[in-house]
Amino acid sequence: MDFSYTADEISFRKRLNEFLDKEMNEEIARQNWEDMGVGREAREFSLKLAAYGFLGMGWPTEYGGKGLGPTYDFILLDELGKRWGAHVPLDVGYTMVGPTILRRGSEELKKEFLPRIIGGEIEFCLGYTEPNAGSDLAALIMEAVEDGDAYVISGQKTFNTECHYAEYHWLAARTDLSPEAARHKSITLFVVDMNSPGVTVRPMKTMSGELTNEVFYDKVRVPKRRIVGETNKGFYYVMEAIASERNQVFIPARLMPILNELVRYVKETHLNGKPLSEDALIRDKLAQAVIELEVAGVLADHSRWLESNHMPLTYEPEVTKIFVSEAEQRLAATAMDILGLYSQLMEGSPRVPIRGRISWEFLHAFMTTLGGGTSEVGRSVIAQRGLGLPRSF
Amino acid sequence: MDFIITKEQLRMQKAAREMLKAKCTNEFVWEMEKDAKGCTPEFWRKMGELDWMALIIPEEYEGVGAGFFDLVLMMEELGRACAPGPFFSTVVLGGLSLIEFGTPAMKHELLPKIAKADIAMTLALTEPQTTQWAPYLISTTATARGDGYVINGIKLFVPDAHVADHFICAARTSGNPADKHGITLFRVGAKKPGIGLQPLQTIAGDKQFEVAFADVSVPSADIVGELNKGGEHLDTILQYAAICKCAEMMGGAARVLEMSAAYAKERTQFGKPIGSFQAVQHHCANMLIDLEGSRYITYKAAWMLGEKIPCAREVSVAKAWVSDMYRKVTALGHQVQGGSAFMEEHEMPLFSRRAAAAAVAFGDAKYHRSLVAQALGL
Repeated sequence: MDFSYTADEISFRKRLNEFLDKEMNEEIARQNWEDMGVGREAREFSLKLAAYGFLGMGWPTEYGGKGLGPTYDFILLDELGKRWGAHVPLDVGYTMVGPTILRRGSEELKKEFLPRIIGGEIEFCLGYTEPNAGSDLAALIMEAVEDGDAYVISGQKTFNTECHYAEYHWLAARTDLSPEAARHKSITLFVVDMNSPGVTVRPMKTMSGELTNEVFYDKVRVPKRRIVGETNKGFYYVMEAIASERNQVFIPARLMPILNELVRYVKETHLNGKPLSEDALIRDKLAQAVIELEVAGVLADHSRWLESNHMPLTYEPEVTKIFVSEAEQRLAATAMDILGLYSQLMEGSPRVPIRGRISWEFLHAFMTTLGGGTSEVGRSVIAQRGLGLPRSF
Repeated sequence: MDFIITKEQLRMQKAAREMLKAKCTNEFVWEMEKDAKGCTPEFWRKMGELDWMALIIPEEYEGVGAGFFDLVLMMEELGRACAPGPFFSTVVLGGLSLIEFGTPAMKHELLPKIAKADIAMTLALTEPQTTQWAPYLISTTATARGDGYVINGIKLFVPDAHVADHFICAARTSGNPADKHGITLFRVGAKKPGIGLQPLQTIAGDKQFEVAFADVSVPSADIVGELNKGGEHLDTILQYAAICKCAEMMGGAARVLEMSAAYAKERTQFGKPIGSFQAVQHHCANMLIDLEGSRYITYKAAWMLGEKIPCAREVSVAKAWVSDMYRKVTALGHQVQGGSAFMEEHEMPLFSRRAAAAAVAFGDAKYHRSLVAQALGL
């Protein structure tokens, strides 16, 4: 057992923080996380992050990486998260698509995409969910029909985050249309250029203001060389990717800025002549939030350690995902309680506390237990894979 | 960073588990709860023969010289088996206090005896002035007289006082009752005149006592650590104790989950194993989530304590979380296993009753959250 970091890891963290002190700001953090569209600032930041060598530490050298372990990427995600909950600006490509291409993609796909992902140049958007395929992803019906050296794809996706600015769609579509085909064994993953003729993106706005999208495919031609891995194995690649994706997306450190803002707020805000920080209930609630973030931290550390050492991930990333997402909701509720009457004020309002970040976070947090798989599906996965209980669905 | 439990550590855990499975059956635990002594000489000797008491005693005192983390792994197994007897009191409260703060003479006298399972020890700390955990609220006095001290006062919730050969007793040598400064720790022979015991009836069926000290004289040579510095010493001792208690709770919770999952697979209703129902699955998943968090938060604090990295905050985080966790996990264990687990002789109540006791031992969740709030600068 050893919870320490190596000297190299510590010095990487130090260099990174010196860089972030200069280059990172709240605007950049929000451009990515709130999905308003990664704008000029976040794109420039992404390129700088790459130029200074902070991207791709754990990726193979032949595709532009430095061939060290994934620990460095986790340090990167933690340190970004501590600053306004930031993420790698082009995070879908970096944390979800890239690793899957690396694991399953053809040499051609690797050469084409990996150096540009590590270069912080391109972004992908996930194309899994459909109106009738949410938790039950294998129910998707978007069709891809073989036609010479291409597939012709038609249908509709929904809740496809980042499609309004990403360059490529990471698309799951059904390629074996025969009636006897098993639904898990007839889905293929494609990389689709978002500029392809026949692709229409219609943004939808969430209750907390983020954009997500409906995406319509009308006879879109996608060349066969843009198939990821083997045809009809896409469902399994997606499931495989979800485990490591959990480790890269549900970052406990991202909640620390909220906690720090609250600590500052309760010290500075007075009620009946006393700072809120002397209120026993508030102290108890904030301490509980710290405890939950610490627990989330060790759960994530353990799951990351398994991944870093190529040990099988079964239920562990799901535990992290559920714990972090629910801790986020509890933290948001605590924050709203502390702000009291002022909790209802939104960004831009006179007298809004903490720049409106708390009311935004409260609204945003409804998504955390839904996005990327609901807590209900997750708990059944834990019960079945972690404890060997029989299947419930 | 690594989460490796070494082969040697795994071997130790496995051996402990096998011995406890054979010798520490539910019936035995249940019998020992009702027994006035609470442990048999055979069981205590058996643990001694396997060097469990010697585990963390340094080699120069005829111990094994293992690290604190090894002890934590051992406590996990003891918690899993609800092992009866004064192991915790002797090794954690007595042994670690002496290893950290004992005089050379005390160590030479007592540590080899602990290692050989020849003596039992305990800590006399809590007093009746408050119903809440308050380790510095000491009004038991130690008054200088001649070349020693005379101790007067009442201690509560003293575990295993009836079998202890020596107490570590916290008494006030200066200052006011709630002051951290001015507390001194004394080694007090349990058979000294003036010591009176009264057993408490507890929810976990463990053996705890009210201990009255009436004009008990002790020589100055029996001061453990420094005069008036007992408050600081207690901080260290109680950090070890809290984490060992977390390990015990985590071991117990692991067994509760194992039992509940096995039951959910076996028990059939509506023509299906109840474990195929999502409601039951989610109870089990919640138990696993809470257990995993408890495991690694305990390991982290245990590792820091073993490495002597300051970790008061991490210890409080762990004790607060694990105390709440154990009660939640046992409650869910009952819910999954239904009416049969509500029966007195079922294995389940052994754990749910211990969860209630462990939650308040060495500071409950609320107390430790108050320390975390302080560490946060509030």
